[in-house]
Amino acid sequence: MKFEDRLKEKIKNIIDDLKLVVGYTSNKLPLRVKPIFIENKDEIENIIFNNLCINNLATYAYSLSQEVDGKIGIILKPCDVKSIIQLLSEELISRERIKIIAVGCSGVIDYKKIQKEIKGSKIISATVEHENIEINTLNKRFNLKLMDFYADKCYWCDIYDNPPVYDEYIESDVKLSVKSKSKYEDINNIEKLSLEETFLFWEKEFNHCIRCYACRNICPLEVCKDRCITQLDEPYWQSQRITLKECKFFQLIRVFHLAGRCVECGECERACPMNIPLLKLMKKVNKEIERLFDYKPGLNIESKPPLLTFEKIEERIKEEELI
Amino acid sequence: MGNSEELKKGNSKEKTDVKRISNENKNDSEVKILAFLCNWCSYVGADTAGTIRLKQPENIRIIRVPCSGRVNPLFILKAFSLGADGVLVSGCHPNDCHYSEGNFYARRRLEVLKEFLPFIGIDKGRFTYQWVSAAEAKKWQQLIINFVKRIREITNK
Repeated sequence: MKFEDRLKEKIKNIIDDLKLVVGYTSNKLPLRVKPIFIENKDEIENIIFNNLCINNLATYAYSLSQEVDGKIGIILKPCDVKSIIQLLSEELISRERIKIIAVGCSGVIDYKKIQKEIKGSKIISATVEHENIEINTLNKRFNLKLMDFYADKCYWCDIYDNPPVYDEYIESDVKLSVKSKSKYEDINNIEKLSLEETFLFWEKEFNHCIRCYACRNICPLEVCKDRCITQLDEPYWQSQRITLKECKFFQLIRVFHLAGRCVECGECERACPMNIPLLKLMKKVNKEIERLFDYKPGLNIESKPPLLTFEKIEERIKEEELI
Repeated sequence: MGNSEELKKGNSKEKTDVKRISNENKNDSEVKILAFLCNWCSYVGADTAGTIRLKQPENIRIIRVPCSGRVNPLFILKAFSLGADGVLVSGCHPNDCHYSEGNFYARRRLEVLKEFLPFIGIDKGRFTYQWVSAAEAKKWQQLIINFVKRIREITNK
């Protein structure tokens, strides 16, 4: 049986115990998919799963578990499972309420990379087959290699066929085949810059920010949406003006909210309409946290996020002497 | 409440201590340093230093907090964003916390912040966290003399 059929079959078998299943379905827009919320058996036919399913459906886990009574099934790529694990380890959702339907992944396509390649022209139709992507725009045809257009996270993924936690697992027919890249290459490049250059780099990036809050709203771990300190009057942290300073500070709020929690799913960067490289900030914090506390988020339900716990003697922290 | 009133309310709130501090003596070329001191050790230490008339630089503005664990890394970033030249956080020595473990949490958070600062273009040296007990008035004096010196060097670089 083909992969998608096996997935549908599995959901058919388990849907009776579930209130709701969240999955992917096709979209009229080329190269896009959209989420679907399934309650009845006859809707299962609409479920798809392919290389375009980049969205992290774990984003719905927290809000749905607040709104829906009963168990929720969510179709998750192995990397998305990490978000769920993080939510579970912080006891933001309960294990009994969530059914993790993990699917083997063979890499997902980053739409923004394609748009960059075709210089933003309007895509009329597109097909993804085997190793190639064929794109027709208004006046041109592009033949692209799938290899070059995976999302960044795919290039250092090591769990694509091995989700850390799951209730159901549907193995993929195709294995992820990419040349792995160094995860921290872009971070190291920024670290090499002088302080002034770094400052100017971020200044340039945050000049584009329109404070749409898309990065915050799509984040599966930012469960604070309706009481986010950036919009609170009491305590008053920030004005609502869209100035460079405020936009930058808003992002720093996010960074420290997610310090040691971010599983680097890349949704913030994907959702950003202004293409600000937000994930770099998260990766830097995670890099430091891994160095200091030997902790990687999203791999173990039992482990506590490092900033919510402590050791009496910190082996790796070198406190500075000023006297 | 009307819209304009709300606006006014917002504006008045914006004049927090940090803002007031960063705005006073605007033409002064002296560096301004913000210090978050824990109520039980460092604040008392700084107080003692004053009581026994130890000479100290005037660049420090102190905000008293219940515990160094109360200090959110965002306090420090906000202070920088509002124009502080340096930020110091000080609390009880590890194992001496009035609330047993506040400073252990603080140590982790502040260390992560310290390592993160250069990544957004702020010199690491502009921020430090130190442990000063209520009895260490001399240490406090020496600490801020050295810190102010360091901030001056960084600012005038």
